[in-house]
Amino acid sequence: MATSICRTLKYFQPITCQNIKCAASLLDVRLVPVLVPIRTKKRFFIPPAVNVKDKTQAEQEVKARAAGMVVRQQYTERPINISCTAGIFDPYVPPEGDARLSTLSKEGLKQRTEQLRQSAASQLSIRKIKDHDPDFSSKAFPELAQQIFVDAHAALTQFNKEKLHSLVTERCYPEMVRGNRYKTLRWGFIESLEPPRVVHTRCPDMISKGNLYGQVTVRMHSRQTLAVYDRFGRLMMGDEDEPRDVLEYLVLERHLVNPYGCWRLHGKIVPAWAPPKDPVVKTVMIPGPMLKPGDEFETLNYQVPKPKAVQWYK
Amino acid sequence: MAASAVTWAGLASIGRACGHIRSRLLGSSSTLSQVSCLHTSPELNCKHWERKNLTVYPPQNKDEPRRPAEIHHCRRQIKYSKDKMWYLAKLLRGMTIDQALTQLEFNDKKGAKIIKEVILEAQDMAVKNHNVEYKSNLYIAESFSGKGKYLKHIRYHGRGMCGIMDKVHCHYFVKLVEGVPPIVEQKTGFDQAKEYVEQLRNRTIIHSL
Repeated sequence: MATSICRTLKYFQPITCQNIKCAASLLDVRLVPVLVPIRTKKRFFIPPAVNVKDKTQAEQEVKARAAGMVVRQQYTERPINISCTAGIFDPYVPPEGDARLSTLSKEGLKQRTEQLRQSAASQLSIRKIKDHDPDFSSKAFPELAQQIFVDAHAALTQFNKEKLHSLVTERCYPEMVRGNRYKTLRWGFIESLEPPRVVHTRCPDMISKGNLYGQVTVRMHSRQTLAVYDRFGRLMMGDEDEPRDVLEYLVLERHLVNPYGCWRLHGKIVPAWAPPKDPVVKTVMIPGPMLKPGDEFETLNYQVPKPKAVQWYK
Repeated sequence: MAASAVTWAGLASIGRACGHIRSRLLGSSSTLSQVSCLHTSPELNCKHWERKNLTVYPPQNKDEPRRPAEIHHCRRQIKYSKDKMWYLAKLLRGMTIDQALTQLEFNDKKGAKIIKEVILEAQDMAVKNHNVEYKSNLYIAESFSGKGKYLKHIRYHGRGMCGIMDKVHCHYFVKLVEGVPPIVEQKTGFDQAKEYVEQLRNRTIIHSL
């Protein structure tokens, strides 16, 4: 069994040299440290210390520091992304009953006229965006937005990471991908029921004035199919053959000051009045209340807490 | 700067993607091994037990029977002997998970407590990560122990003799499968003898009258 060898530094002892010719070179050598092998046993596995007097981490640290061990400065750094913002600023609040009322009825017409008159802030931010990006037009942009949406979800089903990163911002990427690593997604975009349109724009500037990001909200009403299969190929949610009508408010973002920036999907706004999603195909246990020794669960009339209907962002 | 912030994460994720692709291939080969009933010895299984949880099967059609979920879990470097652990592992093979947990709770061995923790962890993982519906609907398909890395000390004998004392460690592996455990036919000695006699009677004598 070959024992592994540790190497340590060792300075040459002054040796009586017969050869006077290399005396000068020896002198040089004496100044240079040379590695000399020293034999030790190679430890593959260092067991945890048992029956140590000071068990807590703090006491052990104090002892080690007193003995002279120095711990290197720990840099607690987190990577920062400057190519996208962390959220949706001044979000769009979708009006209640959107896409429920037909456009021909009185209420529908009123809603349409309200929507057509975009607020002043949106117009201002559109003008700011056009300053930095002359190709932007609120007529042509929604088509582009829909194309980005379709491409991003197609890349998600194939899990093409590079393409997904180019179509979706860094804030949106983990929300799209979380939990899907070992699942199979089957998504299909069948058709668009209404032409998409821009409903809201904002131009927040982050940290320093002038560092502009443009956020545009696009309203999309379309027909899609989704089926989620788990690791073993069993259907978890949805149906591949059943198309559903989906009303979505997409937020796209672009770093305007960056000349190489591009419009990418930043998030989705889920309104407070959105219908609840379908339940999953399996039964789930919800933790119940803590029972006292004399109580019975049936007599308690425990109501499962329902979540509040609040607008949230995906 | 954003690109450089993403590089290491990107590399790690590409590495994971390669594992993902490899695991898809592994998934297909594991179905092959099920079909051909290959016998794989524990030494061949031990190293990549955790990776077996990463295989992704393609979506099933509606007419196919539902594939049972399989969860692999292990604990490494347990301070116990692999031979002593074997007795517990052999006890649990083929039991339902509830039955296994009750047996381990009332077993006096040191390894029983450790195996119980491992099985409870695996059950928790199954419900949370692997889309198992009912946590009692699992049974132990495979359970075995393997040798861990040993520490060596000197054991002093009389007359100046010495020996190497091994501080033994073991690994414990368990595979939980969703569903009802398969019923193993119990063959008695009498059945085996009857089969043997039938085999003898079915022999044909060639080149005879």
